[in-house]
Amino acid sequence: MELTRRDLLTWGGGATAGLLLTPLPWKVLDDTSKWTQNWPWIPQPSRAPIEVKRSFCTLCPNGCDLRVRVASGTPVGVSPGPQSALCPLAFGAHQLNWHPGRLRQVSHLGKAASWNDALAAFRKAAVEGPIAVVDAYPRRAGSSVMENFARRQGGTYCIILSAEERSLAPYAAWSGAPVTSLGYDFEHARTILSFGAPLLDGWGAPGRVPRLWSTGALKLIQVEPSLSRTANAAWRWIQVPSGSEAALAAGLARVLLEEHISPARAPLPPTTVAEAAAQTGIAEETIRELARTLAAHGPAVAIAADGDPAVAVLNFAVGSIGARGGIVRRREGGPSYLTADNLNGHFRAVLIDATVPWDFAPQADAEVFRFAAWNGGGSRAHWLLPAPGFLEELTDVPTAPGSAVDTYAIAANLSTPPADVRSPAGFLAQVDSALPSVEDIIHARCRELFRTHTGALQGEETVPVSRFAAPERLEEALRTGSVWVAGPPRSGGLRCRFEQWPQPTAPRATADWTATWVPPVLPPLAVKLYRESSLREPPAGRSI
Amino acid sequence: MSARYGMVIDLDRCTGCGACMVACAAENNVPALPPKATDRTGITPMLVHKVSNGQEGAEFREAFIPVTCMQCEHETPCVAVCPQQAVQVDPATGIVMQMPQRCLGCRYCMTACPYHARYFNWWDPAWPPGMEKTLNPGVSVRMRGVVEKCNGCHARLHAAQEKAAAAGNREIDPRDYRPACAEACATGAIQFGNLADESDPVSQAAHSTNAFRLLERLGTEPKIFYTSDRPWVRQLAEPHPARGDKEVKHG
Repeated sequence: MELTRRDLLTWGGGATAGLLLTPLPWKVLDDTSKWTQNWPWIPQPSRAPIEVKRSFCTLCPNGCDLRVRVASGTPVGVSPGPQSALCPLAFGAHQLNWHPGRLRQVSHLGKAASWNDALAAFRKAAVEGPIAVVDAYPRRAGSSVMENFARRQGGTYCIILSAEERSLAPYAAWSGAPVTSLGYDFEHARTILSFGAPLLDGWGAPGRVPRLWSTGALKLIQVEPSLSRTANAAWRWIQVPSGSEAALAAGLARVLLEEHISPARAPLPPTTVAEAAAQTGIAEETIRELARTLAAHGPAVAIAADGDPAVAVLNFAVGSIGARGGIVRRREGGPSYLTADNLNGHFRAVLIDATVPWDFAPQADAEVFRFAAWNGGGSRAHWLLPAPGFLEELTDVPTAPGSAVDTYAIAANLSTPPADVRSPAGFLAQVDSALPSVEDIIHARCRELFRTHTGALQGEETVPVSRFAAPERLEEALRTGSVWVAGPPRSGGLRCRFEQWPQPTAPRATADWTATWVPPVLPPLAVKLYRESSLREPPAGRSI
Repeated sequence: MSARYGMVIDLDRCTGCGACMVACAAENNVPALPPKATDRTGITPMLVHKVSNGQEGAEFREAFIPVTCMQCEHETPCVAVCPQQAVQVDPATGIVMQMPQRCLGCRYCMTACPYHARYFNWWDPAWPPGMEKTLNPGVSVRMRGVVEKCNGCHARLHAAQEKAAAAGNREIDPRDYRPACAEACATGAIQFGNLADESDPVSQAAHSTNAFRLLERLGTEPKIFYTSDRPWVRQLAEPHPARGDKEVKHG
């Protein structure tokens, strides 16, 4: 039999067609697709079992309740607690400790240095002159160590107020109470009149106003020149020209007081309703109707986002100062702190805690020792000192700014910090060995809570403090995620007085959570919000 | 009894914070992509869109629409076109499951999906050194060249099923299974539940008068419902020639 070219082609064609009818090519294709998805350089997740631990977010002073999933000693996921909510950034916070901007080495003027160099320089500065210590989350155990150091050294301890505390500053000035002891009783308010405060976009704890608003029980009226996210979602948006907020507040107060529709008694503002209408561009009748709404849907409270006294004074007319659903003074008094804005005088050095916003620059001509977990670039500090990152150190969580009730919690450290990292409290303990440790202060605070026998611990169940047999048991419950909550604020515990109707201050730009975010870097997954969607504009000056 | 898991998203309660997007990415080991990634090439199984009513001045208003896989129940387009059987509707849950291991990357499913809820991995999954330790052990990472989408946080479903099995139950406790986006929503705008259970509040909300689905006329029976009291928001669910929307026709 002769084999021709035609026979070869026929055989080849038949073989190809036959092969396609077998599973072989499809199996090869399938196996190839699987094989090429398992290259050795592709990261593989840990196979360790997941354990859920309770802790608290320490990235901002709100201290939100967390459920942290931990595998092989590393946090692998963050969820909110049952009664809590988290900001978008917290959901990616467990990855922050491996951010490329993580500080892992002491540096002096941009060059690598050692802790011994930093200690020697700081000891020398402490001998030569007073030292200022700047902190953004006061009342933590670590803050007490810094405060103690400043006092013993003859220096100054000062704080940076949060946005909520800045809005409460006028009431502190009128009452003499420390601003850190004041709060908003939103939980009992029915109406909030916000002058530019981004209540639904990062102002305060994410689980507070947004949750109250979403139930529909809270009427939110937003006064703002442009449509912010809060104004967009508010029950009512009052558009006013920038800088005319104080005139609107005065007009509303005038109506409330003249028409006696509010039980409050206060001096009449010099601005008439007609003048307020002319300045704001809002009809006179609209201002009157808005004032009546405030009175009819009480308790109501007004918020001046930038702490403008001329806006804050409206709460006198509304009758919300020291009242249920208004501005209250918490049971536990807090000390008065000097704010960093008022840091004057000559200092040999300034020590800046890791909680202080990255762009803070002291006005003093001093050697700056800056603790930070992440390097945002462009720092003017002489010394950059690597600090523990997210959930890398044991810390306590005092009352959130603006809260109506006192709380206390302990955030357990769930992650091991890099080797060359120290907290400011540990650093200062090496300078002054007489300082108490963070652990000692937490023990003492737990003993104090046990001694007072007030409030209750909220965890899986609510247990009154009086039911605990020993302070160690109380501390153990706190360390495993329970929160101590004091009783409700004292009725009439805040009395304010002012001499004359305040003049408006210059308006400041409204901030949202991207502007008040403390770490100099954002969690890598936050890029989903900026680069990979059109949801938000990238925050200026932040590394994403 | 088979479940039909779905969502009801109240657009009047969505503030556009984006927590659902970040929580979804963290839960499902979605990497942060290189700076050249855009809103077209990025991987966002949950993507919040910003829309407006087209008015000006004081009448201008915005709404935020979280869009994820619509978990189509009927003639699921992506299932029909996949040559690799990498997509299938789980008969026990109603969730449209994507199996990246089978995916060849032909992207027919992306073309077929009317909701643009599928994403192609243009880059190798990569994390900064050490950050791979933070990956969710319940979810494998996906390789460059495959398509992915929302799987209803299947790792959480598996964990709930394992817990139920360990307790000797066939059915999971509904409290044990909630996708990351619903859990992350601070205002409770995203509600997750069993649409087949008439007593489930989510099933009841899906039948409310203000409930609607995106591109409902296509007949794919999505299991993601939206609600809004605002008529202009509800109108966005369908292309509207009078509003100037263009309907794209293929072929």
